[in-house]
Amino acid sequence: MLIPRKVAHRKQHRPHRTGAASGGTRVTFGEFGIQALEHAYVTNRQIEAARIAMTRHIRRGGKVWINIYPDRPLTKKPAETRMGSGKGSPEWWIANVKPGRVRFELSGVAEPVAREALRRAIHKLPMKCKIVTREMVEG
Amino acid sequence: MPEVRIEAEPRTEFGKGAARRTRRAGRVPAVMYGHGAPNRHFTLPGHQLMIALKTPNVLISIAGLEGRPVLALPKAVQRDAVRGSIEHVDLIEVRRGEKVTVEIPIRVFGDVFSGGMLDQQLVQLAVEAEATHLPDGVDVDVAGMEIGTAVHAKDIPLPSGTTLVTDPEALVLHVLGAQNVDLGEETTAAEGEAAEAGGAEAPAAAAAE
Repeated sequence: MLIPRKVAHRKQHRPHRTGAASGGTRVTFGEFGIQALEHAYVTNRQIEAARIAMTRHIRRGGKVWINIYPDRPLTKKPAETRMGSGKGSPEWWIANVKPGRVRFELSGVAEPVAREALRRAIHKLPMKCKIVTREMVEG
Repeated sequence: MPEVRIEAEPRTEFGKGAARRTRRAGRVPAVMYGHGAPNRHFTLPGHQLMIALKTPNVLISIAGLEGRPVLALPKAVQRDAVRGSIEHVDLIEVRRGEKVTVEIPIRVFGDVFSGGMLDQQLVQLAVEAEATHLPDGVDVDVAGMEIGTAVHAKDIPLPSGTTLVTDPEALVLHVLGAQNVDLGEETTAAEGEAAEAGGAEAPAAAAAE
């Protein structure tokens, strides 16, 4: 799973959940991609689950790109704990994904296979998404 | 490539409020510049512009402004990231017979040798051509290409009157052998080692695995 090797601060504020993606909105490496239509915190487990769903479907051949990285820690206080006593302990690593962001890309396989692989990956992700092609987002 | 004639209306008001009113009315704010002339701001009909921009490097004849219609090429198109609607377009003025540098798409067709995987590094080629005779793309036939075959920019035949601007040695595509796919089983073990070695502050959920 994707985890930062070293971080400057163990605990951070929660990232902003507003606005649209300002970059990474096009398919740049592969032929097909998954574009987010909503905002979400995507955990490293979800990214890994989506990657495995894709690679298991395409089997041999094909190449997968992951364009997001879970570099933000989220903390959680233990259950049945009174308020106070400082911030909770880091619990998840998440990528702050905003609408329009192309998160996964795929190439080297036939279109029906690619679409099915991406469809399976979308089911592992916590927001509405759509499949985009290089042609759709260029021009 | 044929010209597309679009009727423009000069812009009288500026700013995000005015631009949004323009878009709600089905028009797209645009700016045109080039040849040292002052910038010209106008609006274009949204649907007509969207149809025209489906052709790469479409030559647009802008009518409805002062003087004769002006030829222009799209230089930058701003789109809504999710809906794909056109929000603004930059046009660069060109003249008949003038040579311009544009990026043309590389179209790949055919199936590579079975067991190989096509890795396309470049999807566009920068070429210099006459503004009124821009090619709409170049074709590359990859049928039967074997593993290890590579196509460089210099290998692609260009239409007459077109010269290559991209580095001739630039790799356009090559055929790789099918790679072993990581299906996830090995990843968990490898990741555990990496996290220990790196000394990252892994959250409790990750450390518990």
